[in-house]
Amino acid sequence: MTVGPLIVLAFAALTLGVVVGRRWPRLWLALTLTGAGAAIVASLAVLFGAVDWEWRGAFRLGGEALHLRLDGLSAIFLALVGVLGAAGAVYAREYWSDAHYPASAPRGRAWWSALLLSMMLVLTLSNGLHFLIAWESFAIAAFFLITLDRGQRAVRSAGWLYLAASHAGTLALFAFFALLAARTGSWDLGPMRDQAALQPLLWLALFGFGVKAGLFPLHVWLPSAHANAPSHVSAIMSGAAIKMGVYGIMRFSGWLPAPAAAGWVVTGLGAASALLGIAFAFAQGDLKRLLAYCSVENVGIIMVGVGGALLARADGDAAWGRLLLAGALLHVWNHGLFKGLLFLGAGSVLHATGTRQMSRLGGLWRKLPWTAGMFAIGTLAVAGLPPLNGFVSEWMVYLGLFDAVTSRGASAWAAIFAALMLGTAGALALASFVKAGATVFLGAARGKRAAEAHESGRTMVGSMLVLAALCVMLGLAPTLVWPALARGVAAWQPAWPVAPVPQSLQAIGGAQLTLAVLLVAAGLFAWRRLRGGVARRAMTWDCGYAAPTARMQYTSASFAGIVGGWFRWILRPELALRRPRGLLPLRAFRLERFPETVLDVVIAPVGGLIMQTASGARRLQHGSLQAYILYVVAGLVALGALVLTAGVR
Amino acid sequence: MMIVVSFLARLAWWLLLAPLLPGIINKVKAWVAGRRGPPVLQLYYDLARLWQKQVVMSTLASPAFIVGPAVAWVAVLGATTMVPLGPAGATLSFRGDVVLMLYLLALARFATTWAAMETGSAFEGMGAAREVSYAVLAEAAMIAAMLTLAVQTGSVSLATMLAPSVGTSAVLLAAGLFTVLLVENCRVPFDDPATHLELTMIHEVMVLDHSGPPLAVILHGASLKLLLFAVLLTQSVLPMGTYSPAVAAAVLVAGVLAVTVGVGAVESLMARFAFRRVPLLLTTSVLLCVFALLVAWQGAA
Amino acid sequence: MRDLNLLIGLAMGLNLVALGSSRLPSIIRATALQGVLLGIMPLLLEHDIGWQVVAVAVATAIGKGVVIPGLLQRAMRAAHIEREIEPFIGFVPSLLLGAGGTIAALAVARSLPLLPEHAKSLLVPGALASMLTGFVLLIGRVKAISQVCGYLIFENGIYLFGLLLIGSTPLLVEAGVLLDLTVGIFVIGIIVDRIQRAFDSLDTRKLTVLRE
Repeated sequence: MTVGPLIVLAFAALTLGVVVGRRWPRLWLALTLTGAGAAIVASLAVLFGAVDWEWRGAFRLGGEALHLRLDGLSAIFLALVGVLGAAGAVYAREYWSDAHYPASAPRGRAWWSALLLSMMLVLTLSNGLHFLIAWESFAIAAFFLITLDRGQRAVRSAGWLYLAASHAGTLALFAFFALLAARTGSWDLGPMRDQAALQPLLWLALFGFGVKAGLFPLHVWLPSAHANAPSHVSAIMSGAAIKMGVYGIMRFSGWLPAPAAAGWVVTGLGAASALLGIAFAFAQGDLKRLLAYCSVENVGIIMVGVGGALLARADGDAAWGRLLLAGALLHVWNHGLFKGLLFLGAGSVLHATGTRQMSRLGGLWRKLPWTAGMFAIGTLAVAGLPPLNGFVSEWMVYLGLFDAVTSRGASAWAAIFAALMLGTAGALALASFVKAGATVFLGAARGKRAAEAHESGRTMVGSMLVLAALCVMLGLAPTLVWPALARGVAAWQPAWPVAPVPQSLQAIGGAQLTLAVLLVAAGLFAWRRLRGGVARRAMTWDCGYAAPTARMQYTSASFAGIVGGWFRWILRPELALRRPRGLLPLRAFRLERFPETVLDVVIAPVGGLIMQTASGARRLQHGSLQAYILYVVAGLVALGALVLTAGVR
Repeated sequence: MMIVVSFLARLAWWLLLAPLLPGIINKVKAWVAGRRGPPVLQLYYDLARLWQKQVVMSTLASPAFIVGPAVAWVAVLGATTMVPLGPAGATLSFRGDVVLMLYLLALARFATTWAAMETGSAFEGMGAAREVSYAVLAEAAMIAAMLTLAVQTGSVSLATMLAPSVGTSAVLLAAGLFTVLLVENCRVPFDDPATHLELTMIHEVMVLDHSGPPLAVILHGASLKLLLFAVLLTQSVLPMGTYSPAVAAAVLVAGVLAVTVGVGAVESLMARFAFRRVPLLLTTSVLLCVFALLVAWQGAA
Repeated sequence: MRDLNLLIGLAMGLNLVALGSSRLPSIIRATALQGVLLGIMPLLLEHDIGWQVVAVAVATAIGKGVVIPGLLQRAMRAAHIEREIEPFIGFVPSLLLGAGGTIAALAVARSLPLLPEHAKSLLVPGALASMLTGFVLLIGRVKAISQVCGYLIFENGIYLFGLLLIGSTPLLVEAGVLLDLTVGIFVIGIIVDRIQRAFDSLDTRKLTVLRE
């Protein structure tokens, strides 16, 4: 099966999907699954084969010839896009069905295909001008998907924020590609490591792609956009769309020479992103906002891997860099899978109860057993716990950092800092997801909506099941994907050729498999021994409480109270408090809101200042004809004076 | 054949010796208080008694309530397979196993807190919140401690990492790791295992609603974790590699005994810290481990 | 050299203890212990130990370790306070500042052009770290006694710098520093007494009343 026809099939199926999406849902689903499947097979063929795919066409678009390329690095991202695109399309059949959303569901299908198509084009196009065209269409498709539910104010403002941030990044990318074309003489993209003049351009690329990736402090659009979008859109945004930004950083840090400070900056930003992202996540009371901030943390972990690889490259191509980059690439996949799973689970909860506020849910495991089980698997994966896939990629990154420290090179201090930040972030991630899972699914229902929930249908549960199965598979058999990761690493840095599976990875794979078997055995043994009438059911004892109510349970805010206090300096919560007064208080409430700090403290004041200056300058426009003529005369006089004085000199 | 025998011997050592430690701690506390105290083998009797009791489950709890303790126990046991027992070595050893050990302990913590939240009670939620919050700083301290050992020995595998040189960094590391032992095993000054008031509980409160065999599994798992940390602490501080096998074994046992008596002494002589002062103590342990790292870096340079 | 570094290391540890304590007796004891350690350091640095050096070292140790802490404890008992109330810089942030400052002092000292015999010792980093700790205590604490201890730790830092010159002007350094310290303590002792009498409290924020 050659790659070329598969790519053509994928593009054709998705383009046709854009056209038929509005009217014929079943045909659209078939086309989308075909397109996604073709993309997955093509990328697997490149990853497990030995040859990259490249194609130059005669057709010219905007004066530039078409140039497509699929090598180890882009194939990894292409496979992820395919998997999430297919899962989301199946999920949307029931979640955003024509029955419930007659106006927006047809639009949603068309834009979904457009999104997948533009993401695939971004990954395969190898020409600067075409890359920008595909990038812009990807941003616009994502905008229309985020604002599918246009009637709600929060959704609209989230969409505008996303669009503004996306274009800020795209502006930097315009500058980047234009300067690149000017300095190399052509718009064509390829390895350009020997041209030292291109070094400063990497900072532009880092900014432009960093905005899309959601790197702290460029992540301001991420929480509101991912929280307010429909859940299948959030899944593909968090899983695949922000990985386009990661792809851009990886691609161009590999092809271009890097400035000396780039490795330090990327590692530092990644470590800070990891810790601050998960600190924000822990404090949130909105389930999808928590998941969105967690994406910021995971992008931080990936950037630590990329930064470490840059440091290793500068340090004479040290071997630990390969491990760090492989860990980053595996985390791209792992995060896409488990974050997609978690968002689809959150969508299931939202579909059943109508609310995202965790403190209004609870006890949903009885009504939504499948969702609860899938969400629990996603929780284990995101906390990076064995035996699932999240642990394997984090383990690789940790091992790379430990190796960097023991090598005692110049970059060991960056590795020490990153390792400490990652360790703290990992423990915070565990805490956040115990909070999320327990507050939503365990205990007693905290409100009527939670008490009257119902399980989602087969398509929704089925798509979650596929993602969960992939998480488990990648966790139990990590050695299977090592050749793919090695191909990606070799595409980034040819000096690190494809190596055989390291022995430590084989050991991890064996250990995870053994652990999974033991855990399942222990769980089954425990459950079977105590099933039936052997275990007596009684009210929660709780040290003797006679009449507990659902509202006595720990809420999400109380769970996060201790750590929220430690991070108050950056979380800056807004608190509205009315304490109970008197003997029989009627009303009391405590409302805590965690705004996006970087947006409110840094960007909004700057925006306000710009608006103020602009309004001040606007006073020049008052519509008086005489004044305008005066401006013209004054300008002419000034110009004349300038010419005369310049001529005299 | 020898591999199977040595594997079983190590497993027996871990499983059978672990319940002795809480007994020794309680004996030390009793002795300091002028009492005779419960017998040193009390936990063994307790485990046998609990195994025969019936389980009472909360009406709100899902099957994960029963499975949680089993998962936690398997995870801690898995972590012990990678910690070397002095001259006897470890069952499983490969590059990077130290990270697997740390994350298996995290899996145990996840399972315990998940099972605690199952009951839908405020007490257990409080304990779970405290447990996961303190673990954040304890994890940072553990990573710093492991980095110190890695810098000293140049290796990333527990079997070869735990052979440090004696010096200032050993003292700092001992202090830091001892504090981490106290917080991870919920001992004074972070938690008081003797009382059952909501003001003082972290671990005790999380297991309030467990009963029968699951409770036995939880108690055994907790003692196993204490033994793991004691063994880790002893080998991080004393240079086991320089002794002959017999001497090293004796030093290991003596070290574990010393750590246990130390925990008992700390519990008898200190009161539990007010909750607002706990972050200060945790930050101190992180800084102790970070400074141990700095001293080790200087020393090996 | 190793013993000297061990003593300076202990002194740097006492800095952090003083930063983290909220109880005044602990801060006073940490400062006293640090003073004693610094007092006996000339005995390790001097090449020929005559009776003058021993006398000055003993006097410094007694002065910094017994006399001055005694005065501070008397003031503490007279004012009936035992605890530092909520300071301007919280305990955990000041501990982190002190630790960060110690690490920064080590890094800065590495990049300074020191003499070879001083480059291997911790004198310069210890001095910088103690000065920073003293500043944090002076700025961040509310009770006057904590601020006095901060001043003492700051003086210890300057003393450590002075020890760098011990090869060339040995006895002069110790004597000069001791005199400086005595004058400073007398002045502060008198002021603390006056504050206590005027305001019946050692909360230095009340001093702002004096501006009218």
